[in-house]
Amino acid sequence: MIKKKILIVEDVINEQILYKEELEKEGFEVSCVSNGIEAIEFVEKNLCDLVILDLHMPKMDGIETLGKLLTKKRNLPIVIYTAYPQYREQFLTWAADAYLIKNSDIDLLKNKVKDILSEK
Amino acid sequence: MNLKDITIFILAGGKGERLYPLTRDRTKPAVPFGGIYRIIDFPLSNAINSGLRKIYIFTQYKSLSLHRHIREGWNIFSRELGEFIDFVPAQQRIGDEWYQGTADTVFQNINILELEKPKLILILSGDQVYKMDYMRMINEHLKKKADMTLATFEVPLNEAHRFGVLSVDKDNRIIEFKEKPNNPFPSPENPEVALISMGIYIFNLDVLIKKIIEDAKKSESSHDFGKDIIPSMVGKDNIYAFRFIDENKKNTKYWRDIGTIDSYWEANMDLVNVDPLLNLYDRDWPIRTFQEQYPPAKTVFSTGDRKASVTDTMLSSGCIVSGSKVIHSVLSSNVRVHSYAEVIDSILFENVNIGRHCKIKRTIIDKNVDIPPHTEIGYNLEDARKRFHVSENGIVVIPKNYKW
Repeated sequence: MIKKKILIVEDVINEQILYKEELEKEGFEVSCVSNGIEAIEFVEKNLCDLVILDLHMPKMDGIETLGKLLTKKRNLPIVIYTAYPQYREQFLTWAADAYLIKNSDIDLLKNKVKDILSEK
Repeated sequence: MNLKDITIFILAGGKGERLYPLTRDRTKPAVPFGGIYRIIDFPLSNAINSGLRKIYIFTQYKSLSLHRHIREGWNIFSRELGEFIDFVPAQQRIGDEWYQGTADTVFQNINILELEKPKLILILSGDQVYKMDYMRMINEHLKKKADMTLATFEVPLNEAHRFGVLSVDKDNRIIEFKEKPNNPFPSPENPEVALISMGIYIFNLDVLIKKIIEDAKKSESSHDFGKDIIPSMVGKDNIYAFRFIDENKKNTKYWRDIGTIDSYWEANMDLVNVDPLLNLYDRDWPIRTFQEQYPPAKTVFSTGDRKASVTDTMLSSGCIVSGSKVIHSVLSSNVRVHSYAEVIDSILFENVNIGRHCKIKRTIIDKNVDIPPHTEIGYNLEDARKRFHVSENGIVVIPKNYKW
């Protein structure tokens, strides 16, 4: 079976490594980039089935990235994964398939990703 | 509902290609109409006559002329009191493209909705001529507790295929909607007419956001209210039709989506009738505009074959008709018609100069054109077609700044 491809957009390297390992255990192929500019470059050049998107990042933040990703790959599933619940008030975040708050329980993220990819 | 909870979005981003060459240098809402107006004066006047004063105008093509007109003519709002007209040119805030459709225009400016958080958004098109009290529609929307209400107008069944056509139940709930259908469905009350969408929508904020985001995520969508958003809401959301109530005080309801040179010419010619369909004289529903200050219109020479004669004509300020004949025409400000010339069934824009002995018939002359003496236009259409745009019905159009 072809592995589903996930892109993690996250500026904290330790978090990148953690999510990558956890998602690889679930059988996904995982790539990581550190900000929005790299994320857009990545999806333009590579196949990608789902993006996990942090909001606070240097160079280009998550919300701007979300808008740009959306207009480039309109039906690409996006999961916002952030420590900040208050950005839900920014209407563009409603375009994400899920808005998850970071905590120690990474199963939440894994299950959401599996749910979304099994629906597609 | 507090009026301040209602924000108006006027969509003025269309190219208006079918009105070429009047839209060669300006976006369609900025096309002059009725001597002194621009088309956008109608929705703007309707807005202020309805008591609504929070207005965003979205532009992208050739918007300079429109910007100027609004800045010079509509600088009447007080931001201190929460009133404004703000221009929003295409900014590539979200994507790297220009606006793909009307819904994309709203999506790309979603930040304005975040900022304003209005309860209701009234979406209008900047290129229609009509008189409407939007509050009547808003009250109906609130009474029905609708998610979205759309204004509808009745047209003969055989003309309906050019529009978005809807079908409603006895409560005016929309049960079917098709954009430009081959076989339009008739109105429930009268089989000879169809109910069409006027492109005027009221949305509750959360509904609008959800719908435009849902649509933005569809790659097959054209991101248009009429083609995509409204059809996607039928049968799912609480959506109603509002039967257009005309403030024009005439027997026939008036609404024109001036799409072509011929319909443009006809709508202007209507104004010079004894009893025009469009009533510009009603002080209860005034249409305001910007006009440069000129002296009053004047006619000179009163005897012999050099006698000035102006009949069935709208003559704007600054015009001088000198020893010539003007019949059944609309003249914008500062037009000169020199001796022995004849102008019939024509529309002359600002600063047009008609030389001596010219004969002009069924012609639209755009701004700043100087017609040399003894020129004939509109009499030999074959000849005219070689140099100018000539409409299906034979109206000649001389573009802006044309040099002889």
